[in-house]
Amino acid sequence: MTPLIEVRGLTMRYPIQGGFMDGVLPGRRRTLTALDGVDLDIAPGEIFSLVGESGSGKTTLGRALLRLVEPTSGEVRFRGEDVLSMGPARLRAARRDLQMVFQDPWSSLNPRLTVGQILGEVLHVHDIARGAAAKARVRELLDLVGLPPEAADRYPRHFSGGQRQRIGIARALAVDPEIIVADEPVSAVDVSVQAQIMNLLLDLRERLGLTLLMIAHDLSVVRYVSDRVAVMYLGRIVENAPAAEIFANPRHPYTRGLMAAAPRTRPNARRDSAAIIGEPPSPLSPPPGCAFNPRCGFADNGCRERPPPLEDLGGTHQVRCFKHASVGDPALASS
Amino acid sequence: MTEEHAASTLPSRRLPSLMGRGRLSALVGQRTALVAGAVMISAIVLVSVMAPVISPYDPVDQDLRNALQPPSWTHLFGTDNFGRDIFTRVIYAAQVDLRIGFLCVFFPWVLGTILGGIAGYAGGVFDTLIMRTVDTFTAFPFLVMAIGVIAILGPGVTSMYIALTLAGWSMYARIVRAEVLVAKRSEYVLAARALGFSHTRIMLRHVLPNVITPTIIFAMTDIVLVILSTTTLAFLGLGLPPPAPTWGTMIAEGKSFIFTAWWMVTLPGLAIVLVGISLSLFGDGVADWLRERE
Amino acid sequence: MALLEVRNLSADIPTRRGTLRAVEDVNFSISSGECLGIVGESGSGKSVTCKTILGLLGPSVERDGEAVFDGTDLLSLTEAELTRIRGRDIAMIVQDAVSALNPVLRVGGQIAEGMIEQGVVGSRSAAMARAVDLMRKVGIPSPEERARDYPHQFSGGMCQRVVIATALACGPRLLIADEPTTALDVTVQDQILALLRQLQRDLDLAVILVTHDMGVVAETCQRVAVMYAGQVVETATPAELFSAPRHPYSAALLDCVPDLDAAQAERLRPIEGLPPDLVDLPTGCRFHPRCPMATAECRSQKIPLIDIGGGRATRCIRHEDMAQPGPVSGTDSTTAEVGTA
Repeated sequence: MTPLIEVRGLTMRYPIQGGFMDGVLPGRRRTLTALDGVDLDIAPGEIFSLVGESGSGKTTLGRALLRLVEPTSGEVRFRGEDVLSMGPARLRAARRDLQMVFQDPWSSLNPRLTVGQILGEVLHVHDIARGAAAKARVRELLDLVGLPPEAADRYPRHFSGGQRQRIGIARALAVDPEIIVADEPVSAVDVSVQAQIMNLLLDLRERLGLTLLMIAHDLSVVRYVSDRVAVMYLGRIVENAPAAEIFANPRHPYTRGLMAAAPRTRPNARRDSAAIIGEPPSPLSPPPGCAFNPRCGFADNGCRERPPPLEDLGGTHQVRCFKHASVGDPALASS
Repeated sequence: MTEEHAASTLPSRRLPSLMGRGRLSALVGQRTALVAGAVMISAIVLVSVMAPVISPYDPVDQDLRNALQPPSWTHLFGTDNFGRDIFTRVIYAAQVDLRIGFLCVFFPWVLGTILGGIAGYAGGVFDTLIMRTVDTFTAFPFLVMAIGVIAILGPGVTSMYIALTLAGWSMYARIVRAEVLVAKRSEYVLAARALGFSHTRIMLRHVLPNVITPTIIFAMTDIVLVILSTTTLAFLGLGLPPPAPTWGTMIAEGKSFIFTAWWMVTLPGLAIVLVGISLSLFGDGVADWLRERE
Repeated sequence: MALLEVRNLSADIPTRRGTLRAVEDVNFSISSGECLGIVGESGSGKSVTCKTILGLLGPSVERDGEAVFDGTDLLSLTEAELTRIRGRDIAMIVQDAVSALNPVLRVGGQIAEGMIEQGVVGSRSAAMARAVDLMRKVGIPSPEERARDYPHQFSGGMCQRVVIATALACGPRLLIADEPTTALDVTVQDQILALLRQLQRDLDLAVILVTHDMGVVAETCQRVAVMYAGQVVETATPAELFSAPRHPYSAALLDCVPDLDAAQAERLRPIEGLPPDLVDLPTGCRFHPRCPMATAECRSQKIPLIDIGGGRATRCIRHEDMAQPGPVSGTDSTTAEVGTA
């Protein structure tokens, strides 16, 4: 199947302003590499999850796909068309197909507009519906996300976090998009509400044939909804595989460590002891070689000298690790 | 209690963020502050508009036989050295002072909001240009600038407007720019961009309404400050040319008689204090009301 | 004997809309060397409970009940007496470690400050030496040099370690940790939880761990109190709670958490509806509007915390029905999963 989204070599660097003389003194200008040569394909109708710790670049990647930030280099193709070279008018039109749901249900809705105005504005700007037709469509959208029609007349502050997240989803759905980038859609809501929102996203995929790129840090959430998972570390994808495959057979030490560190609700189900030591290095001064080597139990001199390439293990499982054979070896994995 | 009253009604050039607890409205109660302030301001405006009906005297005509009369039932506030009824002059002056107070806040508010909004939203070279200009204007001592402008244009209402607008807009530009920078990073603005909204729409509908509150709060205090500034200018002889009364010119004229005819200085001063209190009450009430709506 | 015993604790917070019953009738106890998890969603009263015990809520809050710490009722103490106990016998760490540290002071000095303030060390140099020791104990590499650094030179996880060192400085017997790992990445969270477990063992420390994450509780605590709408609804050991919850809310909450290790993800069953408004609480059991098992009695009658033996308690009159696996919705999947584990 042709992918809906193709990302090739996507790179994003920011100049960093440190001390006030940094810009003046030669050689003191530093850059932060948020994304470093990211490649990925998203197939139509799939739920693709990006996983990683803070600073891994997952949010930047999600925003770069919609050009909410401008990448330094690389390509993003949506149905074969290059998103990064679109002019302003074309981009505006393309945003009917590419939508976003945000993490924070408290700050992602304009507090001065009613829910009906928030949704109605989208319909108006994109010339989808006006007047009575717009009102009807707003009711339809609210119904789609499980909110009563009366919600249209109220302000965001009258709703709970979970309900606001539903409003955010309805706003994204208003333009009838092909793909929604959902940036940590459940991490700011309570546990009992998380399940509601995840089920809603699964239902919407089913009913509307949506494609979802979900950005998340909670592996149990990712496992529950995803078809495919890519793990990011310091701006690079280190492993990318179908969800069932990656959870059953992680081949990057970082993926394994993440899974080991995730707290389990079943006591004594204590797992793989591949705990990761230390904390992620600063993206301003990444270590030479593989960026994960200082925290990795498998690292040797080779890992410290040159960065490993993204290797294809067959069956659309890719991993960026010289040691993936040992990582996947069950004899070593249980050590 | 009285000390706190005095402290919170004395206007100073403070930023709205400093106007936290312990304000006048906290003492009076919030709705009460808003209502009381509104009633007092309306009363002052009404009295000044109705001045010809209320007072039998003319504010300008001289009556030297009745010069320097102390307050009495015929002359409530006494008369000045030209025999003009001070009460009449005070209520006529309210029209001029309130109009100047309002307009000299309104113009800077509009100018500052537009420029600050552009600086914050567009960023880059616009930001640098506008904000360096703001810095220049802020660094200029207020009186020096006002004196300069009035010296060039000559005293009069128009030069007063221009002088006070030039002196006041930079504060609004600063406030608005800072607020826009925060709002610009908010997720609802990001969402609006993701939805393909135009910059004009994002600016006018999603950014501005969310940044305007602090400027309104500041403007309420600013009105009092502007009225005081006009007084200062009048005192320096740069006020509106006589004989049209303003509180500032009245105080300036009365200063030579402060030991012989205390009412000439004190009673117009009292009018300023009264306006100050009512605007403070009203401003605090409006601020609370706006904050509550958020 | 319990180090801290909380009895019938309640806290009413006056608001513009009326009295907010943030905490009502909370009972629990904790002994030295024990870790008690208080788990609940936002607004369940878990944080307010801890702040009430420490008298951190301000004078307008109406407090009632007892919190007996080592023979003294904390609720009856004056602010001056409490100040002696806070930080010295009872220490608290919070979620946002980065903002819990003063950005303009060196971290060594911040750790030493409490010791000097409480008079537990003789001199400033002794306090500094102990601060370096503590930094080593909480796993900060090269503590001698790092004690001279400022908070912004530390990562989030390292800041939380500094905060823990500060909390331990005066040798407390009870540590209250309010969502200590919520702001941290999962690999760092794992490290901090391991540190807390180790400190609790080594120092015979009593730890109250406030969290919304069932997984964190499972890995760290010996006992759990589940809170809902200001009340403790169930207390048990984590193993008991997760294998056989005896309150419908605990059961439902567990059903909401996807299982990372399950072979085939089955569809989650969210709790329908929303938690109640604490200003306008439902009559009877506070969970009844969302409870699949609610009866007429649940709607009308105030439910006490019922001792069901084996150190367990539940605030549900139908707890016996929950003990039977199978027919009752909300419990079957959890027991089934444990059966296959």
